[in-house]
Amino acid sequence: MFSWIRWWGLIVFAVIFGGGAAFFIFAAGPLAKLSIEKVGTMVNGALVEVDSASVTFNPLGLKVKGLQVTDAKEPMRNTLELDQAVAELELAPLLIGKGIIRELSVDGLEFGTPRKRSGAVEKPKKEKKDDKPNAIQKALSNVEVPSAKEIIANEQLTTDNAGKAFKESYETNKKIIDEKLDAVPDESALKAYEDEIKAITSGKIESIEDFQKRKAQLDDLKKRFKQDQEAIAEARQAVKTGREEISTALKELKDAPGNDLAAIRDKYQLNAGGAANLTATLFGSEAGDMAAKALHWYEIVKPYLASSGDDDETVKEEKRVRDSGRYVHFATNDPWPSALLRHSHMTAAVSAGLISIEVKDLTHEPKVLGRPALVDVEGVELHSMDSVTANLVFDHTKKPGKDSLKLNIVNWQPVDFKLGMGDIKLTSAKVQIKADANVVRGQLEAQGDADFGQAGFVGGGKTFVEKELGLALKNIKEFNVHADAKGRVALPKVSISSDLDRQLSAAFKQRLNAKQDELEAELKQELNARLEKALGDHADVLTELQQVEGGLDAKLDKLKDMASSELKDFKQQQEEEAKAKAQQKADEEKDALKSKAKDKFKKLF
Amino acid sequence: MLSILAKLLKALNSEASPSQISLAVCFALIMALTPLLSWHNAIVLLLALVIKVNLSAFIVSLGLFSLLAWFVDPYSASLGEQILTAPGLQETWTSLYQIDFLRITKFNHTLVMGGLVVSLIAFLPVFFLCRFLVVQYRAKLLAWVEKLWIAKLIKGSKFYRIYQAIAS
Repeated sequence: MFSWIRWWGLIVFAVIFGGGAAFFIFAAGPLAKLSIEKVGTMVNGALVEVDSASVTFNPLGLKVKGLQVTDAKEPMRNTLELDQAVAELELAPLLIGKGIIRELSVDGLEFGTPRKRSGAVEKPKKEKKDDKPNAIQKALSNVEVPSAKEIIANEQLTTDNAGKAFKESYETNKKIIDEKLDAVPDESALKAYEDEIKAITSGKIESIEDFQKRKAQLDDLKKRFKQDQEAIAEARQAVKTGREEISTALKELKDAPGNDLAAIRDKYQLNAGGAANLTATLFGSEAGDMAAKALHWYEIVKPYLASSGDDDETVKEEKRVRDSGRYVHFATNDPWPSALLRHSHMTAAVSAGLISIEVKDLTHEPKVLGRPALVDVEGVELHSMDSVTANLVFDHTKKPGKDSLKLNIVNWQPVDFKLGMGDIKLTSAKVQIKADANVVRGQLEAQGDADFGQAGFVGGGKTFVEKELGLALKNIKEFNVHADAKGRVALPKVSISSDLDRQLSAAFKQRLNAKQDELEAELKQELNARLEKALGDHADVLTELQQVEGGLDAKLDKLKDMASSELKDFKQQQEEEAKAKAQQKADEEKDALKSKAKDKFKKLF
Repeated sequence: MLSILAKLLKALNSEASPSQISLAVCFALIMALTPLLSWHNAIVLLLALVIKVNLSAFIVSLGLFSLLAWFVDPYSASLGEQILTAPGLQETWTSLYQIDFLRITKFNHTLVMGGLVVSLIAFLPVFFLCRFLVVQYRAKLLAWVEKLWIAKLIKGSKFYRIYQAIAS
């Protein structure tokens, strides 16, 4: 019988298993440290560090000391830090590779602690989302108004264009008119014409030859008159056309500031509508940051809350590997998922005080466990609120999985709670917050209400809206804020509403109307200055042109008169002379008779 | 590897019992057709080490059957699935599942169950077939193989020198 036994085989067997056990004892700690750091850093996106990790035997477990999880967004800050965590492991499941933690105790848990060195890890560069204005900034863009000078500097003003058009029209027409006027005889020329006509037409015509000579001179002069008349007519037409064109340009220029003002008023309408989004601006950024952090961590944790594919309807095609089979689980009071945290209770220091966190049945195989994972958070020693409770349930025991959160905060007293605009702060208030959120098939549906009482605000800001808002908020003591979030967890559609908007709108409306008038007056002044600049010294150009036109008319009339001058013919002149002589003789005779009669009459007395 | 093959040849050509060689092959069959890191395999390994089976035959067979397992595993897993989900056996499995020690054996794993059933069913046939083949090889094929040109070629190789060193 013993001839079939190979005794040294027993030693080899003992060496193989003893070596395995020794390896586990000595290497498990460093391997656990390495795994936590490597996997943690990969999942977190920033450095996860462990001072040391070691295996404990009574009870069997793993002790991790000095765990620091860097905040991926702020590498000089830890998302969480703990002094020591001891995971008490169950031996039987561990023998088949299942990590079941019966109890996890954590000491010195803190959130948001500063780091001595940066915990950033190099990641592929992603496009910054923050460069684009968010919905809140967009909503406020019509409330935030620059100064009149800034508006005018940034706007395409019709006043400027009309001014340019007016100048062009003036210069073009002036050039044409000047050219035409150069051809028009001046006053001295007209005087010379008059002298010439006088010389031609006056004086006795001595003979037929003299008459013909004078007539030829007059005809020549008339020809020049005709040319001058044509020049005057052309100049007159040029002046008329120029006056019409300049008149149109001037009208457009004078109308432009009014049109500009109307357009600017429409575009930069200061209305209280913008204030409808102020609640989102004031509370959205802070609440958004907190929600974003929560959702970020939820996104990280989510894949580990349920085995991959539990909630996925689509089946991914995997590379064919050696069939590894699967566990068939049967009903039992003590199911063994591959990894499970049965229970953990820890206390953490946060800004509001101390909070107690209790975790139950956390596993990535909830169907095997048959129970949902629970995380209950409760305030213990709070100094800025009466109580806070948060209950998280990750229920993936059946399809579709459902994750839910219920949050209740009683009498939160925020101190110097910075709001999302300027340096406005909520210095004091009593706030009651109730919120609940559910995620089913990756779709988030959340709502929350916050009732603010005994509110006190301080501060304002540099911009108009911030200053005005600061003033308006000072009179508001009570308000509520309601927030809704729906859609994909990674990118939910968030809406924030509040009766604060209504209160702010009323206060804002009054202040905005006054501000609108002030702005419009400034704009008017600016535009008028531009108009004056565009008109320059040409404001009376139309009057000047009218005078020029009148002068041309007078010249034309004068030339017409001169052109109508005729030279009497020689015969007519002789007859006229004879007639004049006869008349003179008759008059002389008549006068002689009159004096004779007078003398006779005197002699009678 | 060459020395292990040489040892296998030595075992085949020597006076080593055909049963020892066949039993080694059967143990290797169980280990290869079921997930290696299972507790029943620790027992199989213990048996293979303690019982005087031919270890060279065990190691070479383990390698060969592991290759075979790539093709057999899906069928083994399917068989295990059927056994573990068979309605008539549910009560049995459920009661066994309550015992931690049995759960450690991974009996509820489809490939462990299927592979173990397949290898246990094949155990005796493989044992006798293997034994028969070793006997036949020694009786009929050994002399003929030695006369083959390829055998002569091998005899002039490094492999044969290792074989001779081990045989002596």
